[in-house]
Amino acid sequence: MNMQLFVNGIVNAALIAPPAIAFSLLFGVMRFPNFAIGGYITAGAFAAYAFNVQLGLPLLASAVAAMALTGFIVWLSDIIVFKPMRGHGPVTLLVVSIALTLILEHIIRIIYSAEVRGFDIPLQRPVKFAGIRITYEQMDIIALALAVAVATHLLLRFTNIGKAMRATADNPVLAEVRGINTGLVIGFTWLFCGALFGLTGVLAGLDLVIEPLLGWNLTIPIFAAAILGGIGSPYGAMLGAVMVGMAEELTVLVLPSSYKVGVGFMIIAVLLLARPHGLLGQPEIRK
Amino acid sequence: MSAYLISMATYVGFFMILAIALNLQWGMTGMVNFGIAGFYALGAYSSGLLTVKAGWPVGFAMPAAAVVGIAAGALVALLSIRLREDFLAIVTLGFGELIRLIALNEDEITEGPRGLKIDARPFADMFDRTTYPIVYLAMVLAVVALAFFIAERIRRSPMGRSLRAIREDDVVAEVLGKNVLRHRVQVFAIGAGFMGAAGALYAHYVQNISPEVFMPMVAIFIWMSVIVGGAGNNWGLLLGAGIVMAILEGSRFMGDFIDFLDAEKLSAIRVILIGVLLIIILRVRPRGLMPEPRFRYGRSPGGGSSTADAQS
Amino acid sequence: MSRNITRRTVLKSGAATFAAATMAPAILRAADDINVGSLTPNTGGGGPFGPKITASHKRVVELVNSQGGVLGRQINLTQENSETNPESAVRAADKLINVNGVIGILGTWSSSVTLGIMPKCQEAGVIQMCTSSSADIPVRDEKGLVFNFQALSPVWGRAIASLALRRGFNTFNLMALNNDFTRSMMDGFVEIVGADKVMIDPFYYNGNQSSYRSEVSQLIESNPDAVFIPSYVTDFTAVYKEIFRQGYEGQVITVSISTGSKFKEAVGEAANGIIHGLPVPPISSEAYRQYVEEAELEQMDGVQHPFGTAGRDQMSTLLLAVEKAGTTDTAQVAKAMWDVTTGEGKKTVYNITDGLAAIRAGEEINYSGASSSVEFDAEGMVLGRDFQLAEIKGGADVVIERLEY
Repeated sequence: MNMQLFVNGIVNAALIAPPAIAFSLLFGVMRFPNFAIGGYITAGAFAAYAFNVQLGLPLLASAVAAMALTGFIVWLSDIIVFKPMRGHGPVTLLVVSIALTLILEHIIRIIYSAEVRGFDIPLQRPVKFAGIRITYEQMDIIALALAVAVATHLLLRFTNIGKAMRATADNPVLAEVRGINTGLVIGFTWLFCGALFGLTGVLAGLDLVIEPLLGWNLTIPIFAAAILGGIGSPYGAMLGAVMVGMAEELTVLVLPSSYKVGVGFMIIAVLLLARPHGLLGQPEIRK
Repeated sequence: MSAYLISMATYVGFFMILAIALNLQWGMTGMVNFGIAGFYALGAYSSGLLTVKAGWPVGFAMPAAAVVGIAAGALVALLSIRLREDFLAIVTLGFGELIRLIALNEDEITEGPRGLKIDARPFADMFDRTTYPIVYLAMVLAVVALAFFIAERIRRSPMGRSLRAIREDDVVAEVLGKNVLRHRVQVFAIGAGFMGAAGALYAHYVQNISPEVFMPMVAIFIWMSVIVGGAGNNWGLLLGAGIVMAILEGSRFMGDFIDFLDAEKLSAIRVILIGVLLIIILRVRPRGLMPEPRFRYGRSPGGGSSTADAQS
Repeated sequence: MSRNITRRTVLKSGAATFAAATMAPAILRAADDINVGSLTPNTGGGGPFGPKITASHKRVVELVNSQGGVLGRQINLTQENSETNPESAVRAADKLINVNGVIGILGTWSSSVTLGIMPKCQEAGVIQMCTSSSADIPVRDEKGLVFNFQALSPVWGRAIASLALRRGFNTFNLMALNNDFTRSMMDGFVEIVGADKVMIDPFYYNGNQSSYRSEVSQLIESNPDAVFIPSYVTDFTAVYKEIFRQGYEGQVITVSISTGSKFKEAVGEAANGIIHGLPVPPISSEAYRQYVEEAELEQMDGVQHPFGTAGRDQMSTLLLAVEKAGTTDTAQVAKAMWDVTTGEGKKTVYNITDGLAAIRAGEEINYSGASSSVEFDAEGMVLGRDFQLAEIKGGADVVIERLEY
């Protein structure tokens, strides 16, 4: 039982990690917590549904197409909504992003209604060994999460655009002075993060059920992971995802499971109270 | 029809109290609270349970709800006082959800998902069925007025000025020797007390409360009221609360005219409208329809009452 | 001072616009109509069912109006969305009562909504018709104005349990969505199978979780013969996927509202083998056949619309009761509800047209509905609906057993 809970936690973490990384990156560059991730993820899931079920593409192709489309939607949301509001405080932008996620969710409701949907692939039975059960699909999800983590690491570390992202996150003014095209960097960050949200939509659609609240339900664990890791720190976000994923699954050992949805919040609260900047986050010097 | 307007005015009253409270916490002090639904629920359940299960007279239970709100507000503020505002947003949102989960799961006390039926209503014996809603509205408006009065007093007092200083820059405020912590906790607690009172008024008005009533959506409506009206300006948010309720309720009447949209699409369109409106207002009038009057520091060294000066 | 005046003007003009907007429909409404309200869960948890109830209400009203109405008056139906949320529903009910002046609010689905609007309805003397399952409903209906077209949920639990026992299962585990409907269903289930056959304490999950993994692990850990999961469709779909993925080979039992066609599409072949039960329309009944025709559905063996049928019966019986009572006074209409639905030795009618004709001809009628034979006990709760257990085979429901009352 306990080993199984451990596996459950890892699968959870693998689902939460990519969007937590994206959320964290986005926060680093844009400097506000973007609640619209729920809407982005749902959009990704439905985009993949449209390609896979309605247009009949294979799931893999649908996933890639959905990532591209979600990346575009997310980028567009910046152009239409957030870009004209640069310089507003983080709380104003937070409220705007809540409005945006409501808008996205309800546009999807108008098109697809609230009915449950799934991709056009059969459910898998697990392979069992050493008393634990896991499906190949879940192994894929874990592998993908690792790949995303490594790719993000390489991107930030070794590519020009990645270095520019880090510079912009550190200090946008200085980055601009040093000749970095911050507009381009910001645009790329939205696109890249959008693609990760799209990917999450696909994986969450596989794991849970495709419906308009899909992304919203994931929002708090993702937040919790990103904050736990120190917001703005992608590596921390991965660690945070593992901890949140585990904590949520292990809850059942100590608490009635009907309290589970509160666990993410409780982790955030306790951690922020103990370490206001997260596990790996640096104290920010406020201007 | 007039009965409907009276009851909508009553609901607007609840929104107004919540909006005044949020304005104290955020508009004036810069302390973000996304847990409005939690404090609202706490007030509603405190008063409801005290009358139903403990047999308190409603006249004691309702003020007690405000006290519970104050205590919870002080606790949350003390715990989270060091947090950045966007983190505080998440912690308070979590507080709201936690209260809802407790109301849902501890059903031996709260009746859980079945909902709590509350028979007691203040002054119910003294009036007949047709006048009572007006009496209740008057009572709600009295609380609105009281909250408004207190909020205005705080805004115009020296404390109000230091609150604004904290909001603009708490590090500087600290340096200036203001007791940041104390003021923040005080104001947050007062705001939470108003929210508790609003919850109690709501509970005895609808007479049936369940955890589903207190979803985070409530917080979003109140945020909209404050933002649309103009953060920091108590007059503006009265307007904001009215506008938000008018959109929420007015769109119902759309359905009476528009036949071709089914209810599902209609309610989706309603939410989209609210979202778009919010974004547009924030974009066009970032300080709301009635922006906060700018204060000129240093002109009047005494009380701040004469220093208010409309910005536009 | 001048600033204050402008502010007041703004507030006043805002209030005036609001008032004008809200008055308009009242003006449009003809004074003589009989006003009826429909408050259905078109979004939220009941989203998959609400529109079917709404459509049924509308069909009956249109039919009656085209035939000259009731008591010679047209029916004016106002439809509102409860959003499956009591906070929003109370305000919608307020509008229906005070603006539209309805005599009844029909179609509430979730118990929290039905109970949430009850104080308002009781105070205003408005009839409520619902398909809710909370055992609190009859208790809180002090004026005898509430009619429930759904069996109370302990009844569901007991019926499903006895059908499950007959299938020979010996050990059970239970987990349920955390709401009133499913909670009391669990109690009914345990009552019948006996607590000793339930291996671990039944527990609850919430509907908006980001994963159901550990709940499922807990549920199947002791490898019971069968698991019973009272739920709604959205959460059940996610839960069932997880059950399948964790390799549970025993019997999954749930309620049929969780296993509609959309569930089967979403889950695919894995859905085969699930057993599900619910109170059903008497499929062999004439009223059900007519309903299927009216709603332009295909006749199938399985049950398609447990709530749509109830919507038809709600509106039909209300209007029949109005005709019978000869007035729109709600206390008398409520009394007439029993006259037109319950009791033996009367003429059985299956639809509103025949019913109205019979009442006008001076006959005593007993309306037999599409959702059940619609007989009410003294508290306005529908008596024994048929109960059916079906198994999903080859992507379709195959009835395996039926309890008839």
